[in-house]
Amino acid sequence: MELAGLKNLQTLAIVGTSKNAGKTTCLNHIIAAWLDAGIARPLALTSIGRDGEDEDVVSGRAKPRIYVYAGTLLATAENAMRRADALLDVLALSGVRTAFGEIVICRAISDGYIELAGPSSASDLLQIAKLLREIAPDCLYIIDGALSRRSQAGGGITQNIILATSGETSAIPSELAEHLAHSLELLSLPELNREQKAMLNEAIEQSPNARVISLADQNGQTLIQKLMLPTLLGHSSEIAELISDNTQHLFLRGAITDEVINELLKDKHFRHLTLAVEDGTRLFINSRTLKRLKSRKINCAVLHPLQVNLICFNPSRSDGAPVDSTAMQAALRKVTDIPVLDLGTALV
Amino acid sequence: MSLFISREEESKSGIREVLDACQCRSPQGVRLRNQRKIYRPNERQALQNELDAIAGLIPLVAKKDSQVTEAQSQLMRLRELQGTLSYLEKGKLLSDTNFFELKSAMLIFSKLNALEKLKQKAQIAFEDCTQAGEILEPSGSKSPGFHIYSDYSDLLKEIRAEKRELERKIAKAKVADRPNLMRQRSLLVSRENNEEDRIRQELGTALQAHLRMLKANAKACAVLDFRLAKAELAIKWNACQPTLVADNQPADLKEAVHPIIAQKLESQGSQFSPQSIRLEPGSTVISGANMAGKSVALQTIFINLLMTQMGYFPVCQVLSTPLFDFFTFDSSQSGELNKGLSSFGLESVKIRNHYRYSQGRRGLIIMDEPARGTNPAEARAIVQTLCEAYGLSASMFLIATHYQVHPAKGIRFYQIRGIRPEDLQQLPAWQAESVPAKAQKDGDYAKEDLERVRFIQNLMDYRLSEVSAHTDVPSGAIRVAELLGMDEELIRNMKTIWKKDKTINGKS
Repeated sequence: MELAGLKNLQTLAIVGTSKNAGKTTCLNHIIAAWLDAGIARPLALTSIGRDGEDEDVVSGRAKPRIYVYAGTLLATAENAMRRADALLDVLALSGVRTAFGEIVICRAISDGYIELAGPSSASDLLQIAKLLREIAPDCLYIIDGALSRRSQAGGGITQNIILATSGETSAIPSELAEHLAHSLELLSLPELNREQKAMLNEAIEQSPNARVISLADQNGQTLIQKLMLPTLLGHSSEIAELISDNTQHLFLRGAITDEVINELLKDKHFRHLTLAVEDGTRLFINSRTLKRLKSRKINCAVLHPLQVNLICFNPSRSDGAPVDSTAMQAALRKVTDIPVLDLGTALV
Repeated sequence: MSLFISREEESKSGIREVLDACQCRSPQGVRLRNQRKIYRPNERQALQNELDAIAGLIPLVAKKDSQVTEAQSQLMRLRELQGTLSYLEKGKLLSDTNFFELKSAMLIFSKLNALEKLKQKAQIAFEDCTQAGEILEPSGSKSPGFHIYSDYSDLLKEIRAEKRELERKIAKAKVADRPNLMRQRSLLVSRENNEEDRIRQELGTALQAHLRMLKANAKACAVLDFRLAKAELAIKWNACQPTLVADNQPADLKEAVHPIIAQKLESQGSQFSPQSIRLEPGSTVISGANMAGKSVALQTIFINLLMTQMGYFPVCQVLSTPLFDFFTFDSSQSGELNKGLSSFGLESVKIRNHYRYSQGRRGLIIMDEPARGTNPAEARAIVQTLCEAYGLSASMFLIATHYQVHPAKGIRFYQIRGIRPEDLQQLPAWQAESVPAKAQKDGDYAKEDLERVRFIQNLMDYRLSEVSAHTDVPSGAIRVAELLGMDEELIRNMKTIWKKDKTINGKS
């Protein structure tokens, strides 16, 4: 596997187009490729907490296992560390606590399996990054998983991402390609302009708990309104109250699903504006919903832009059904210029 | 040792702020500080040692000696060890992170143990932990990390070598051969795990023998950290080393400052007026006009004497004090109406309790305007009685009151100097036209009124001076009302009544 321009990055997050998109397989391949390429910079791995909604529950493990080589640094919770079979040298205790115990910084001194269970907030991720860089200033910090719903607005953690996709999403090449194109569109949403960003960041700083912030033009002045909500879903009428014909920006914080957007679309004022989100990983909407937004002249923009550096295609399906890997890749390459890598079967 | 103060008075007293300002760096130091130990009179020697140690550290801390900064940076790295030590004590299987924690802690202990000058000044001793340290460092490699080293057992070495060999094979193997090799590896991993756990158990047992040393060193870190923090605080607040005197001696405070109130005043651009007072066993009565800062004087005396007995340097130029069995501070201003109970009723309960508790004990009993909400004639009787009763006791009873207390055995009198009458006379009365015409909303004052009050306040001399028993209770309330533009007719009547009453009282 070629490392396609990853060598010079400082941080990298691995995001999947769907569940079972093969993020861990992707990570395993990067690790192996890193070793093959003989790069001296160490890898430093962690994952972002995902509220136990993933494989964790099924396997009873904190996270799926990852095969690392001696020299790799990791930041993982104490309970996950105990289940590792690579020999791990404990180097620092981070003070960051999770449901799986305190996050421990360690270095693999033999090859072997490890489990990653990292922190769940953006500030903790930064704290972990700081500790890892104290030990290895030049490490490539890889976060397994998207910035989770619980983590705050990007937090300046990761701009570069690897997008993992698999035959799991669809076994039909054209469908998969369409799905990928849609995912890429969301992840590549443009950044808000500097002035709007500054205004929103200030409003967020003043009210960190605000879920909705609207910026409206009022006689040449910008009127800022905020709304504190436990969730976005089920509160469309309250959100709608903030929207008028003068609304220019509507910022929504948290996971934005089809349901949230469909609720909002019922309000006739919800048109001709910019829908602002933290970053592209917060949008969980399908292409139909995105089209409906466009037809209402609603653009989407982000506070924190992301850059997809690589797409990893994992041809295996959990049901074992055969996938035409060549056709799949050809279809994917038609919709994007970003390098697509076939991961083949899992290494281990 | 007892401290009897209500939560509200505690928060007013500034104790919490003093503790917060005393910044310990290790969790052990913070815990020790938060215990809020008050030394008992029979722990005089321990308190003296504590104060001497702080005095010894101050010159080193002041010049930021390299041993001080080294100690502080080590203490900052120390983690809470209670959990791990309790596992060790109970013989539970420790995890690698527990071992790492102990190894790091022992590294810190050794580094602190090497700071001879600091240890000597701080009067702290560490126990050698080389032997215990070697348990977690079998090859003597002095690596900062920890894992179950292969050097711990030949079997482990063997298993790991075999595993490594197998991993090499796996890397080269064809995909079809891998599952079988991986199964073999799993077997080795499980043997490795078992051997590792056996070693963890062994390490735990070996370390158990050093439990006493570990606890003692953790304690020494706590004490060192706390003393360093107190020394830093003493420098910051320009505090002095107090002198502990015999039990029947007076407490003498010179130029005492309430550090927390002083900070607040400074942030508002004002300055704190230091207070000097000498408290003899018996009663001391402080009188003073309104706004004269009686409450602040009481709080200043209280916090400095309490800080001394908690082993902090008091914020005074000079302070000498005997040790007390207990401390109380009551101010009837406290809003104890909360439970729908009469404030005087609750006050009576406290007065009763403190009086009973003081029998056979020596306390510092401070009351800010006791019985203030009661009718003046009865209140005067209550205050007079308390002053006379405590006047004969070994405790120090200190009150601020507006009521005239008549001389009796064991009662001394202090007054806040207040505004000199001549200053008050020179001040022009508020011109009728400049009195804000608009009635103010509840709790809101006009800017001009606030300025006027501040102006009068600035004329105030807050210093205490001892006065003879026959000095009148300071007056000036009517003059203040006049200066603030009270209607002329009202002022005239107030003055007439005041003169009449004074004549009657004077005759009685």
